[in-house]
Amino acid sequence: MHHDPAPTPGRLPVGVPAASRPGRTCSRYQPSVPVACPPVKAGLGVEVRGVTKRFGPTTALERFDLAVDPGQFVTLIGPSGCGKSTALRLVAGLTEADEGRVEVGGGPPRAAQSGRQLGFVPQSPSLLPWRTVRSNARLLSESGRRSGRSGRDLPTTEVDALLEEVGLGEFLDAYPHELSGGMQQRVALVRAFALDAPLLLMDEPFAALDEITRSEMRYLLLRLCEGRDATVVFVTHSIAEAVMLSDRVLVMTGRPGRIELDEPIPLSRPRTPEQEETTAFFELETRLRRALRGSTPS
Amino acid sequence: MKRLSRLAAPLIGLLVFFGAWQLLVWLFDVHTFVILKPSTIITEMWDHPRFYWGNMLVTAKEALLGYLVALAVALLWGALMARSRFLEQASTPVAVLIQVTPIVAYAPSAVLWLGRGLRPIVFITGLICLVPLLFAVTAGLRSADPAALELLETVDASPWETVWKVRLPYSFPYLFSATRTCVGLALIGAVLAEWYALVDRGLGRRIQEAIDFNQSRQLWAAIYTVALLGGAAILVLNVIERRLLHWHPGARTIS
Repeated sequence: MHHDPAPTPGRLPVGVPAASRPGRTCSRYQPSVPVACPPVKAGLGVEVRGVTKRFGPTTALERFDLAVDPGQFVTLIGPSGCGKSTALRLVAGLTEADEGRVEVGGGPPRAAQSGRQLGFVPQSPSLLPWRTVRSNARLLSESGRRSGRSGRDLPTTEVDALLEEVGLGEFLDAYPHELSGGMQQRVALVRAFALDAPLLLMDEPFAALDEITRSEMRYLLLRLCEGRDATVVFVTHSIAEAVMLSDRVLVMTGRPGRIELDEPIPLSRPRTPEQEETTAFFELETRLRRALRGSTPS
Repeated sequence: MKRLSRLAAPLIGLLVFFGAWQLLVWLFDVHTFVILKPSTIITEMWDHPRFYWGNMLVTAKEALLGYLVALAVALLWGALMARSRFLEQASTPVAVLIQVTPIVAYAPSAVLWLGRGLRPIVFITGLICLVPLLFAVTAGLRSADPAALELLETVDASPWETVWKVRLPYSFPYLFSATRTCVGLALIGAVLAEWYALVDRGLGRRIQEAIDFNQSRQLWAAIYTVALLGGAAILVLNVIERRLLHWHPGARTIS
């Protein structure tokens, strides 16, 4: 019920470069369809201009700007309460700006929602306890007003394959309460990836995990992102995580939040654990740490 | 061993209760029209199984119908209350008044209004179940994980879909606990309503009849039958709840 067997080519967000992905097999399409792998995926650009957001007496963001190029992995890092989650929620269309403009792929976030172009990963896994792993992973791809017509979601077999890929192959029929925190968060990742959305928004998805699980999740996320052209906006507290994952790291200062440092991460891809031990990695971490220290009033 | 004691403990509890009852009536030689020995009551039921079974079915049907009507109203009204604080604040005093007014006080008027038979019985039974269910629905729908609700928002799910996929399942634990309360309430409602609604069948009718004609055996056997009916309803509820709410931490400990 999720896909049209023959996709209409060109269902791409306006104003976004169509990146074709030659390496990927088109298992979602019936082999008889004579179309070559259509450019189903291209990252979605994000543009936030002069946004102010207040919560009662506190100003979370003031004249905040953020621009993310299509296909980029951008991380927002900053102290608690610096407004990084608020910025992410604005992009997701979960909250509205008091002033300023938020655009996703050239349109308002609401349009991206109904176009099913947002894959959101919240801070807690927020799995529905009565659904199995498999059924939780499909929650987003089977929901929404346009579901069944968009043709963009992954077929259920591919969702299962994704679950296999993140090491949950033996837990397809397990319930969330039977899983560890790390496993639950993996389901939450798959749930977002199952939408095959051109923009992934992740709000400190690994914050509640222990350090070991956390670094495993980092590489898992890297693996999942490779071979996909999705744009990712990632929010975190962890400097190592930010450097490891991102093309660009934005250090934010708090109250009201704005961007203190915009640091490109020129490490080569695919990223490997060995890169974590290089001088380049260490220097980047140090720069970010200094910027962060500067951003927290002592 | 654990399993065995889980089955044996409730039985032992019941045996002690009824044994003590039997013993006390026997020891103090209580007059038979005051309280009977459990053995006498059970013998009475044993001797007239079809009589009590038939009347029980009538009362069970009334109680179930009343509960289902209340549930339907509570789901609709509760959904509206969960959506709007204003509606909730406007509804609460009315709901509380319905809850605190003793049903006996207005049961005769309900019969006068709705006529004899099933209609006033379902009305009275439903009204007595309504308020606990209403508050359960409202609290339950609101108990949904806000992050899960937001997730559905990010794919532009309709309000209906959000209720169906997230809010309603989250309200099940609340609904089950309210339904447990409703078993007793619905039986009070049904038994009482039968007295006023001038029906000729049902356990309430039999109780009334037994009081009028001083038949303590029938009185107590009917009371036992109501108790059995309620107990059976709770057992059925437990089974359904364990199947449906296996994911809920509360359900995993209920024996």
